[in-house]
Amino acid sequence: MANRRCIQTLTHQLYKSKLYTNPSSLHHLRTLSQIPNLPLKPFQSHRYTLSNPDFNYPLTNFTTHRYYSSDRHNSSEEDDSEFDENEEEDDEMETSSAGKKEYSPEEKESEAAAIGYKVIGQLERSDRVFKDYEPVFAVIQSGSHQCKVSNGDCIYTEKLKFCEVNDKIIINKVLMLGSKTQTMIGRPVLPEAAVHAVVEEHALDAKVIIFKKKRRKNYRRTKGHRQELTKLRITDIQGIEKPEMPTPTKKVEKAAVAA
Amino acid sequence: MSQRGVWQLQKLIVSYCNWGGSSRGVRAFMESELPSFKEANPQLEVVTELNRGQHPYLKGLYKNKNERVVSVMNMTPEEVQLCATRLRNSLGRKVVKLKTRHVTKHPSVQGTWTTSTQI
Repeated sequence: MANRRCIQTLTHQLYKSKLYTNPSSLHHLRTLSQIPNLPLKPFQSHRYTLSNPDFNYPLTNFTTHRYYSSDRHNSSEEDDSEFDENEEEDDEMETSSAGKKEYSPEEKESEAAAIGYKVIGQLERSDRVFKDYEPVFAVIQSGSHQCKVSNGDCIYTEKLKFCEVNDKIIINKVLMLGSKTQTMIGRPVLPEAAVHAVVEEHALDAKVIIFKKKRRKNYRRTKGHRQELTKLRITDIQGIEKPEMPTPTKKVEKAAVAA
Repeated sequence: MSQRGVWQLQKLIVSYCNWGGSSRGVRAFMESELPSFKEANPQLEVVTELNRGQHPYLKGLYKNKNERVVSVMNMTPEEVQLCATRLRNSLGRKVVKLKTRHVTKHPSVQGTWTTSTQI
């Protein structure tokens, strides 16, 4: 009886939460019902069809008592909205592959973006974003790494989730701005400064082999590791007066052709 | 990957076998996820090749004439899609350890510091 009650409360919880729209959990519950009954359980006549769950009536007569560790994960993951991301922009689509966290609501993504000091702009479509070099620099923070950037240079950061290739990014956390004549130091961040960048690639770094050995103790371990990186191209720095260029030379830039 | 807005991956060749068991994942990927992948990347030319008796692989041809071959033997369709996405997201550059994480042509704005610089 206790087993049935547990499953009942578990399924109640699942249905009451948003997971009832999640097909994976429904499938999981369907598999629960498909498990053959134990000979000890007498109730076999009243079988609830999980394909059309009726939320008003209590679910009874679950004759299986299999507990899966993935149940608790599924029901509790929705509540924990903690992200360990330190990286700004980046990362591919919100593919919830291999049972990873699902950032289905876009609010969560924007929250993570705020944590990761980024705002996702729009994809580029024939925008003239790539300007000539301007003698202005900014000190940017992406996650735990800080960098001095200028217009037109490339930065490799840790993989930024929620960004795709060819995305426009705005980096909020700017610690210092400088030009030829002026320097602005933030305490610790400059409030109205923004740095625009474009995500160029998401790639894996070269493999590093982590080799551990303890001599004369018969202990040897080899592990390969490839770090996921994001390449950003800085396009614009805002928040400081830029000196006017004396003779602007027109460069023929490659047309931003996005299919 | 796109450098200055230009996609670097030109062609993706999906080579599979219609008999072997190692191609099972690729065959499922071709039925389920390849059409959506093609639509999501219209600039990409995706070709499927039948290669009987061989293990399956994904071959990416980049604009810098670089070829990247990734074996997808015994992989699930989701893993194959991840591989294909990775190929699409990357430059064709050689996979070597990065010298610097910051590539710039103009390292100094206010002048490089020397011991005789006065603020």
